[in-house]
Amino acid sequence: MNHGFYLWMSYGATAIAIAIEIATLAAGRARARRLIEEERDLEAQD
Amino acid sequence: MNWSYFSSPSTFYRLAGWLSPWFFALAAILTAVGLYYGFVVAPTDAQQGEVYRVIFIHVPAAWMSMFIYFVMAAYSAASLTFNTRLGAMMARALAPTGALFTFVALWTGAFWGRPTWGTYWAWDARMTSELVLLFLYFGFIALANAFEDPRRGDRAAALLALIGLVNLPIIYFSVHWWNTLHQGSTVKLTGTSMHVAMLTGMLLMAFAFWMYSIGAALTRVRSIILERERRARWARSL
Repeated sequence: MNHGFYLWMSYGATAIAIAIEIATLAAGRARARRLIEEERDLEAQD
Repeated sequence: MNWSYFSSPSTFYRLAGWLSPWFFALAAILTAVGLYYGFVVAPTDAQQGEVYRVIFIHVPAAWMSMFIYFVMAAYSAASLTFNTRLGAMMARALAPTGALFTFVALWTGAFWGRPTWGTYWAWDARMTSELVLLFLYFGFIALANAFEDPRRGDRAAALLALIGLVNLPIIYFSVHWWNTLHQGSTVKLTGTSMHVAMLTGMLLMAFAFWMYSIGAALTRVRSIILERERRARWARSL
């Protein structure tokens, strides 16, 4: 019986899910950095 | 050691930044060794053939889904009891990773169930309670972000996390309390019937997922701290 499909679907989906989480972590970091920049700009204007 | 020193967001931000790469590196090493054990060292199962190798992600992911929820609820309880900012931030940081591992446990379970049970899904007590766990994670994330004031979101989500704790023993004992399609625990505190190479691979992957979860939570909490503390002088001076 060929079980390759079930193994690939399991391991592949796990790898994709982890890759998506790492990408969202990077996006969250970039967003936080942008907010800090905005605060700095506001402070500079005051 | 003065532990309250680390409960300051500014101190913890730096500590988390220093620690997270180490946890990710450990996770990568453990994953490589765990997969080597799982695919090279561990023998083929006499009954299930090669498909049993889903176990090396399915079981560790299921363990992490419950463990992360427990830790998230503990941080939530601490934030409600002691009104700690960092506890609530840690609970928020853990939720997406917990949801991820719950999804992985359900997904890999479906792709293990099809060739062994003949179905991707059954409304069996173990699977249904694990699905409820996924909804609890989604509810926590949605509730935490539903308020203009993040502290109100923290409190509402913390309450949900504590109420949802009741689901953990249901997941764990479901295979004993009800007649389920899902098998009982193979690994117990009293021992296991698994081949030593299979067990080693599974435990290595469990540690890998554990290290990854800590790394991901620490990375995420840094972003949350920065967002919340962006008006503080220390954050602006970064």
